[in-house]
Amino acid sequence: MIRGLWNRETVALMLLAAYLPLALFWLWLGGSEALGRLGLSVLVVAIWHLVFMLVRAQPPSLAALTTALAVAMLAPEDLGVLRMVLGITFGVVMGELVFGGWGRNVVNPATVTLSFLGFGFPAFAWPAFDDPTAWAAIPAALIGVATGTMPAPVLAGAVLVGAAAAAGGILPEPVLFAAGIALVLLVADPVTCAATTLGRWINGALYAALVALFATGWAGAAPVQIAVAAALLTSLAAPLLDEAALALWIANRRRRHGRT
Amino acid sequence: MLSFGAGLTPEFPSPAGNSHIDEVFTEEAAVRPPVGHALHVTPLAQEGELVAQGAAVACLRHAPDVCFTAPLAGRVARITLLPGRKLSEIVLFREPGDAVERHDTGRASTPAGLRRLMQGAGLWPWLRRRPFGGMPAHGETPAAILVMATDTRPFAPDPRHTLQGREEDFARGLRALAQLTEGPVILCQQGGAPLVDPGAGGDRLRIVTRGARHPQGSTGICVHQLFPAGLEVPVWDIHAEDTAALGALLATGVLPMTRLVQIAGSALREARTLRTHPGADLRQLTQRIAAPGPHVLMSGSPLDGHTAQWLAPRHRQVTVLPREIAGRKPHWLVAALTQSASPKPAIPTAGLNQAFGAVLPAVPFIRALSAGDDETAMKLGVLSLLEEDVALADYVLSAPGQLTSTLRAMLERIRSEFAA
Repeated sequence: MIRGLWNRETVALMLLAAYLPLALFWLWLGGSEALGRLGLSVLVVAIWHLVFMLVRAQPPSLAALTTALAVAMLAPEDLGVLRMVLGITFGVVMGELVFGGWGRNVVNPATVTLSFLGFGFPAFAWPAFDDPTAWAAIPAALIGVATGTMPAPVLAGAVLVGAAAAAGGILPEPVLFAAGIALVLLVADPVTCAATTLGRWINGALYAALVALFATGWAGAAPVQIAVAAALLTSLAAPLLDEAALALWIANRRRRHGRT
Repeated sequence: MLSFGAGLTPEFPSPAGNSHIDEVFTEEAAVRPPVGHALHVTPLAQEGELVAQGAAVACLRHAPDVCFTAPLAGRVARITLLPGRKLSEIVLFREPGDAVERHDTGRASTPAGLRRLMQGAGLWPWLRRRPFGGMPAHGETPAAILVMATDTRPFAPDPRHTLQGREEDFARGLRALAQLTEGPVILCQQGGAPLVDPGAGGDRLRIVTRGARHPQGSTGICVHQLFPAGLEVPVWDIHAEDTAALGALLATGVLPMTRLVQIAGSALREARTLRTHPGADLRQLTQRIAAPGPHVLMSGSPLDGHTAQWLAPRHRQVTVLPREIAGRKPHWLVAALTQSASPKPAIPTAGLNQAFGAVLPAVPFIRALSAGDDETAMKLGVLSLLEEDVALADYVLSAPGQLTSTLRAMLERIRSEFAA
């Protein structure tokens, strides 16, 4: 039988292609240290995917690489191997694999990992990003939207509210950069963001609004910490946004046709 | 997929064809029930008996008014019934001569008489109802009828082409269809001039222009957008060409059996457009144009067709694809990496949304389908859809038959739950 292209692994590959500019700039500026973090993350995530394949017959996915990249880029610095392994294990297993693998998870495993590391080891400093890395989030988003793998409404909603907040002067530049990187890596995940168009617009807008709120009201928080916290709260709210958008859609249809 | 306007244009390889249109009656033909439905029948002809074109060869056991008729004049060669006297197929051999069954159209001016005529002339199986699909019940009154003068499936013949020179029959058919329902008759067509003068088709006729991308011309998507079907709200659909055939039947008493059929696919030497009849023998139709080598004959489009020997009752496309040769079994590790725990989840992409023409929330709908959540799926419009409407999503997700079979299982479950 003939079949199309967009199975799970194609989407994962396209997402990887979208993240490539971001990853390359980050590796180029971060040098061997960044490479080491990425290697460690990939290794730990891959081992857990293999374990779930052998024990639960759950096919591994290339999305493991995107998770590893997000964790390596955004995790607090100088954690040491043991803490990293612990955090990634918790995030990947509890955030994704126990639900049945990529595509069935409800939160992004990288978001869970980063929140776990942030809450668990608050003494470690969050990373900061150089300008080129942050700017590379723009081509990443463009590739993602052009291939249809990143939800365009999420990005648009976030950019709209973010631009308004930046114009109002409540988003300092470091927060803006960190929020942009977290937006493409964590929030614009096709699986765990809201699934309806309206829900996605609100999802993106909510993320940007939370970032703006934390940037003004959370004294002493690092930019990446703000972005990760906003991403976690947004992804927890996504099902609610979907539910509301669906209720609205169904009510609209009922009004127009008298039934659904 | 960065496109404006809903839908996709999937492209499949197929050789070019010439514009010449032949009329072909195959040497053998079969009368079959609509796809996927087993119907209890009473044969009305014996094996070996001569029948005229349009003569009834079988009728429904519990509704003897509804007949299946012979698409060509010939001899009944074989009647195959499944256990429980369900119709499998009735094969006819063509005989020389052009005996044609003439139907009495005297009482067709009343709704009951028209219904009787359509059922007796064998036009009833060309109708299809939603929800659940299949031929409408004998006495059912639809809430609306969709006349499909658009077909956006790959390689589909252009319905505008088929209606050339038959405008009068078409308008007569539309007026007749309006007698069957209290609701609207909705004509879905491609852009351009209206296919029928709005006044000529009756006062309840609505003409709707649909886009050129698949699935905008898919019946279920049209039903979903224009007049959603419900458990108590049956919606029928009929092809524009069959509507013109109904018009001709009313005028002459003879039901025209031929229809425009497109033969395409990558295992052909040349594509072909021809006029043939339902139940035509696909082997004969493709014999001279198939490329050497193993191939499969499918009745229907590459997206939603099925392997068959005979052209299915409502189909207007034949697809010829190379036969996939089963390769060696992959290494167990490769199999574990790629095949374990299927079906794999669908990842929401822009392409998936477009595969439903962006008319419904695709991701919640697919999640409701795969989770077996009937209530949510019904709220999202599953009752308007049939297999052919989700075939494009199956193709896009690269999971042939998965959504299609899930949808069928859900519809059967809903039917049995709500029938009680």
